[in-house]
Amino acid sequence: MARSKAIRAPTTASLPSNLRIPSSTPSLVKTFGKLTRQALLDLVFQWLEDANVHHFPPYLQANEGSKGEEEGDDDGLRPYPAERTINGVRNAYQELQFRKGGKREVIDRILEGDWRHGITLRQLAMVDLRYMDDHPSGLRWTALELARIDNSSSNESSACIPRVHASTFLSSLQQQISPLVKAHYHLARSTSLPLTVLRVFVTTSPYQIAPRQSVESLTDSSRTIYVAFPDSCPFFYTSMASPQTASKAGPAPPNSLVATDARSLQRLVRDAIPKALSLPHQRYTVKPTSLTAKSLEALLALRGPGRSNHANGAFSIFADAALEGSPLDPRPSNTVSPEEHNRQSASVHSKDSAGKENTATDAKDVTLENKRASKRSLDSSKESGTSKKRTLALQSRFGTSGTLSSAPLDRLDVRLLDALPADAKPTEHAQQPTVSLTFAGTDVIGGIRKLAELGVIDAERMPSWMTGEEGVSVVVVREGRRVTKAGR
Amino acid sequence: MPPSPPNTEEETESLDSEISTIRAELKALHHRRRILTNSLLTSRPLQRLAKSHLPSPTTATVARTAPTWTDLSPLLHTSARHADLNHHRIAFATTAFPFTDPAPGPSAVKDLLGVRIDICARDGAYVKPYYILLRRVGLHTTTTAAERQQQQQQTGGRGRGNRVLSVHRHTVPAVVDLGALERVYLPRGKAGDAAGEEEEGEGEGEPQHAKEEAAPRKPWKHPPLQQNLRGFLREVRRQLVVWHVRCDGVRYLRERLGVVRRGGDSDEADGVWERDVLAEDPTQETKIAKNALGIVALGATAREAVYVRVEWEDGRVGRFKISNAGLVERAVVMGDHGRDKWMEAVMTGGNGRLETLLDRLRKYAAESKVSAAASVEDGASQTASEA
Repeated sequence: MARSKAIRAPTTASLPSNLRIPSSTPSLVKTFGKLTRQALLDLVFQWLEDANVHHFPPYLQANEGSKGEEEGDDDGLRPYPAERTINGVRNAYQELQFRKGGKREVIDRILEGDWRHGITLRQLAMVDLRYMDDHPSGLRWTALELARIDNSSSNESSACIPRVHASTFLSSLQQQISPLVKAHYHLARSTSLPLTVLRVFVTTSPYQIAPRQSVESLTDSSRTIYVAFPDSCPFFYTSMASPQTASKAGPAPPNSLVATDARSLQRLVRDAIPKALSLPHQRYTVKPTSLTAKSLEALLALRGPGRSNHANGAFSIFADAALEGSPLDPRPSNTVSPEEHNRQSASVHSKDSAGKENTATDAKDVTLENKRASKRSLDSSKESGTSKKRTLALQSRFGTSGTLSSAPLDRLDVRLLDALPADAKPTEHAQQPTVSLTFAGTDVIGGIRKLAELGVIDAERMPSWMTGEEGVSVVVVREGRRVTKAGR
Repeated sequence: MPPSPPNTEEETESLDSEISTIRAELKALHHRRRILTNSLLTSRPLQRLAKSHLPSPTTATVARTAPTWTDLSPLLHTSARHADLNHHRIAFATTAFPFTDPAPGPSAVKDLLGVRIDICARDGAYVKPYYILLRRVGLHTTTTAAERQQQQQQTGGRGRGNRVLSVHRHTVPAVVDLGALERVYLPRGKAGDAAGEEEEGEGEGEPQHAKEEAAPRKPWKHPPLQQNLRGFLREVRRQLVVWHVRCDGVRYLRERLGVVRRGGDSDEADGVWERDVLAEDPTQETKIAKNALGIVALGATAREAVYVRVEWEDGRVGRFKISNAGLVERAVVMGDHGRDKWMEAVMTGGNGRLETLLDRLRKYAAESKVSAAASVEDGASQTASEA
């Protein structure tokens, strides 16, 4: 155990998954504390499963004998005596499972009891990913598009969806990143969404064993980058370092020569991903898609594998197939409510839609003979006295977005490039004024819909970017239409 | 004796569940009644009867004297139209319709050409229809005066209207690369590219070049790129159909083997629990039921369902590719001792159909069992003779 004499040489290997962070690190308590008690227990049971337990060995009494000289004495003082077998550890957590209590006792048990010899990087990654599963809008995500570099050979019919083979991808990603920084990779499947999430934890030191003083940096959340790969579509999402943490990491430690703030580390990883996905004669590059949102569901709806990528706002009726039924439906389509259309076509494969019925749709079915457009508005018009015309306009402008499907954007930045009204002479305003608008909230498009419902916004005359039709969070607008670089 | 509290709770619970089942039944019956009414309205004898009774436009007054038919005729009329529409959708699969973009702006920009593609799935039901909304480019408000003039010249030269189309919105999933198909079949080399390139995204430098080449100095050298809307739609539909056929094929194989859902159907925890990408609920963990073939996992690797991964009990891992015609095109099986060429040959052999893959595997398993038994017998007889 001559740790101090170990040779520290810079290597290109990735940080090993079993690198242990001392359990006494105070930030670990914070990291674990983000999870609920049940989530913590679930994780522990996962660690203790037969297939996994050799990756996350708990501290047993057998270990104690070997290290007796170091810390054997104070064992009596410890609140959690070491168990003899893994089954004993399992039983201890089963007990916690049945007992009511705070999560603090579980955390204490993990950190001071069964994993007192340290939490591995992999365990930490699993904790973080579990938190992400439980809180899908805890981070800000930016959608990026993968595109083939050589567009000339676009004759082949299959879509340009890169196939990700996990281990190959990780090893080539490691090849890309490792000369620059040392990182720990953790690839996992999201339990709640059709996503594969890669967690990259970046350290600045090229040395295998982190020096003692930088242990705290191993739990630094600003050095963690998440990349989410949705199934079968040419997009991926990266988590943005929020500006506040970026500024915190701004004054980088003086001993680092390269720029190691969170933003540049993130750029590094982001640049490496298309290269790692590329194959010979099949090079990918990354294109921005002007979409940043907190909710992963929104990203999946707007840049995902499904139908709604290019049909939002007024066109969401097509994405939800809420306009017309299947060709085998004998009912004229204007007598069927959009919800029913959607439900019916969705139940082609899942026949259990009967279970989802609730009384709300019951009430609507009574009014089925009305026209389709006015149907959903019926109850709302009763309570708020909205005019029929306005609800019709609302229906046509927003389609089903906000009711059947929702892609909540938490922020919408708009730049208006329109000139001033024509009464001013063109010579007087040589420089065009640009107006920037920023909407923020839990669901911006839903809010605009609500405003239009209340009559604050004229639903008929508002430009299409206000209905979320473009599916972006950053828009440049001229004369009510989105302008892209290619357009102007 | 007063009823104990848990009893009343149970009672209310059972009543609640009863109420909800009755509600569901009522709803189902309502639904059925509507289907039956509309089927009746669209039924042939009734329609024929209605047509024979339909008043001619000149004798509108006569119609009033037959109150039953005038009451029914609007319903009958809409049903007849709807049935016609459905017949077209079933027969031609790709149907067009006009659509008006509700966004404010000049009507020329708002008028869209909608295309609906209906695809019939394996169980005879139709999947959600796919829509493509096309719009004419070059009639945009942001075009400069010069471009507009140029377009006018173009339209003047070509006759009526600018017929250059571009995809405006669509609901085709990313499995079919609509952008690439659009580039091939609906090139927009000559038209003004001022219309916002939503489909293409940002950072594309080509339109500038295209604009420079908009007025070719030597038109005979660069023949105008022809748009082929029919070809485009045919190809989009073909790819969608092929995709659905592949998905259905993989689902069929999985169903033949038997699918066990985690938590629901069984309580055994061992085995390979996987999430099927083609399943309706992607978070549901499933596994292949225990079978004689020894296959423990079979599923598409991605939503495209081009490659299918197979895993056997003995650790062999295979992957095969489904061709667009529904054949097992290529197969690779790797075991602990290298490739299993026999298995590969069995998978691609025969008629190569995806649907009969399991039959081929079964036959092969039976044969190999027989041969193994024979070899064992041989060995036994050999040892016996040696002894």
